[in-house]
Amino acid sequence: MFGEYLLYQVYSFFLAKIMSNSTFIPGQPVTAVVQRIEICKLRHGDNLILGFSIGGGIDQDPGQNPFSKDKTDKGIYVTRITPGGPAEVAGLMMGDKIMQVNGWDMTVVTHDKARKRLTKKNEDVVRLLVTRKSLEEAVKHSMRAPNNQ
Amino acid sequence: MSNSNNLRDSDIQKKIDHEIRMRDGACKLLAACSQRDQALEAAKSLQTCSTRIMAYMSELQRMKEAQVMQKVTRRSSDAGPMDDRHPCKGKVAISDLRIPLMWKDTEYFKNKGELHRCAVFCLLQLGGEIFDTDMVIVDRTLTDICFDNTIVFNDARPGFELRVELYSCCSEDDYSAGSTPRKLASKLSSSLGRTSGKKLRAAMEPGACSPVSNGGASPLLLPVPSVPGPKYHLLAHTTLSLLHVQDSFRTHDFTISGNEECSYWLPLYGSVCCRLAAQPHCMNQQMMSGCLKVKQLVGDAQSWTRVHAILKGTSLFCYHRQEDVEASIEPALTIAINKETRIRASEKDCHSKGQRICISNQYGGEEVTHTLTTEGREETHRWMEAFWQHFYDMSQWKQCCDDLMKIEMPSPRKQAPVTPKQGSLYHEMVIETSDDFSSTVSDILARRMQELELRSQLGTSPTWMSLFEENNPKGAGRPRPCTSRLSGHSPHTPHRPPRSPASPHRCPQLGLLSSDASLTSDSDSHCSTSPCSLHHGWAEPPSSFSLLSSSPSRLRPRTLSLDAKLSTLRGRGYGGGGGGGGGGAFQCSCQPPPSSLLTPVSSRSPRSPHSTQTTLSCSSSTSSNSSSNSEGSHSPESSEGAPFSRPSPARRSLRNLRARLDPRNWLQSQV
Repeated sequence: MFGEYLLYQVYSFFLAKIMSNSTFIPGQPVTAVVQRIEICKLRHGDNLILGFSIGGGIDQDPGQNPFSKDKTDKGIYVTRITPGGPAEVAGLMMGDKIMQVNGWDMTVVTHDKARKRLTKKNEDVVRLLVTRKSLEEAVKHSMRAPNNQ
Repeated sequence: MSNSNNLRDSDIQKKIDHEIRMRDGACKLLAACSQRDQALEAAKSLQTCSTRIMAYMSELQRMKEAQVMQKVTRRSSDAGPMDDRHPCKGKVAISDLRIPLMWKDTEYFKNKGELHRCAVFCLLQLGGEIFDTDMVIVDRTLTDICFDNTIVFNDARPGFELRVELYSCCSEDDYSAGSTPRKLASKLSSSLGRTSGKKLRAAMEPGACSPVSNGGASPLLLPVPSVPGPKYHLLAHTTLSLLHVQDSFRTHDFTISGNEECSYWLPLYGSVCCRLAAQPHCMNQQMMSGCLKVKQLVGDAQSWTRVHAILKGTSLFCYHRQEDVEASIEPALTIAINKETRIRASEKDCHSKGQRICISNQYGGEEVTHTLTTEGREETHRWMEAFWQHFYDMSQWKQCCDDLMKIEMPSPRKQAPVTPKQGSLYHEMVIETSDDFSSTVSDILARRMQELELRSQLGTSPTWMSLFEENNPKGAGRPRPCTSRLSGHSPHTPHRPPRSPASPHRCPQLGLLSSDASLTSDSDSHCSTSPCSLHHGWAEPPSSFSLLSSSPSRLRPRTLSLDAKLSTLRGRGYGGGGGGGGGGAFQCSCQPPPSSLLTPVSSRSPRSPHSTQTTLSCSSSTSSNSSSNSEGSHSPESSEGAPFSRPSPARRSLRNLRARLDPRNWLQSQV
């Protein structure tokens, strides 16, 4: 319930930032419904912690990704959120696909590269661009019946 | 005549009896022996003896037939002197037998699977003599079958026929599968146990252990003993004769019998190389010797010199005295006697008692004639007869009379130096005895680690090898310094308890993995390690070593994420309890090359402060992949199923390694 509320809040708040529906048409740029999430890293001693786990990468077997709709999708997905961690607070959800981190693309990266981009020591904040299925559906839903909220 | 016939008969009969006794002995040995090589050797002797018996018996029969024929002809026609000339006999030697094989390249480089081996040997037959070579075991690591034996046949006629036969026998457990197709045989041998295989063998035994027919010999009925055990089959044969004789190595065609389906099949190239040499007796024996007088022209005067002449090989050697021959003094005169030589006996000379013999040779463009006289008519006749015989021999033996071919008499058998077989790495891992599996495995592991350490080209391979060192209580390699700052790891998951008794032992291993070569890490953790994915219940056999040996060059360490660190810090900080259901099981990584090998250690809140283990699962249980979606963790236990008895540490590490190297995993990292 809380998640759902958050979702709609996110939707309404970032409506302006939503680019378009996600489609894959061969030969055309892929578009996706995305959400910006800003995570402030938690410093613990010498380490900066984000509080989630990622899976995927171009060097990984995409067929084993439980979150992806398209089982050939080699993107980076959020596989776990540490409860109460910075990621959860920022609104990241399990199953999110990370499209960008601080402007760096994450759709075509190796797993290790993705991890590194998230864990740079000199960055205190990471701004993620994520997409999720539910977000897309929420947009569709709201567009169909904007009054049914 | 009949007397000599009888003598020959009894000779052959004696030989037959001897061979029968030998064969009986071989049968008994075959029945008694338990080792496969002994059985193969005994079967080989059996085959040889049987072939010899067949040959002797057929010769006996031929002789009897000839005798009958002779009697018949003698009655019908006058017994005139045997007028036809017989060429001299000679020695024939065959050596350096080499039979090239033609494996398919896939077969040759096949790194797994059973090694199909055959035991082969050659039977060589000339006239009544049959010899066998040593037995050689052939498998796909050999490119040629080489027989080092030199076999010499005495008393060979120029029209000899040397039959070379290659016998082979499949050298695998199931001896009764001699005629069954190889695929079926291997299936049978792998599916039947030892005892049941033996029973099957006894049941399937066709009965007669008769040798393959000996080309041309009439089928003789013999009480052939039926002995269970390996049976040799004719794989290829060829017949060599005088025109194949040469002083050097030559290649001859091999006629192959049998096809791919036979268990004794070997992919022969179709030729056999050998050195076939012949020494006719006329070349190395004195055919004629006596006194002669040689005419010599000293100025204008003719003089006759008395010499002791010896006709041997391609020359007539004339010595001053007979004693010179034994003293090996050079002959005073050497007259060439070869195909080009012309010898004429001229009319009786008034100056001498005997007839003149003129020997003419072409030296360069010149014709040189030597004139000799003998002591009397009979002498002349004898010499001429000797010359004619010599010419006849040379015409019969053809190229063998050009020059004396060297034949090395086979020296008393000496052990050939055993060259170590160049097997693949995998084959070295094959465990022959199944006495104590776990200790054998750990021994092999220890050896393997040492070898691989020496062989590793990148400094990174010790990464996972250090894992082994930890796992293997025997401590194969050198201990690796631990630079990891990781300490604890995620705890047991609720699913794990049934199998966890062994897990605490693995606690120290995780934190101690380190690698010297680390990737540049802009990440927080600069220690590059690959914590192992300790995975229970991995049933893979040590064939995982095939992965082991093939992958080291492709490993590079990964920088470790904060996973382990987080587990200790965060577990307490963020409250306990596993959130949302799934256990703290995370997937290990098994990267396909060229990516690196890393299994991050993810953690949940610890159950115990010790954080004893990382439970990582390899989702090699691909069937359950799509189904298991509990919070991104693929619980291993439920998908693995199949409880295993507690495996030895060595085996577990094998499995873990294999799990890690399995490319079918999906990595997760904590950030």
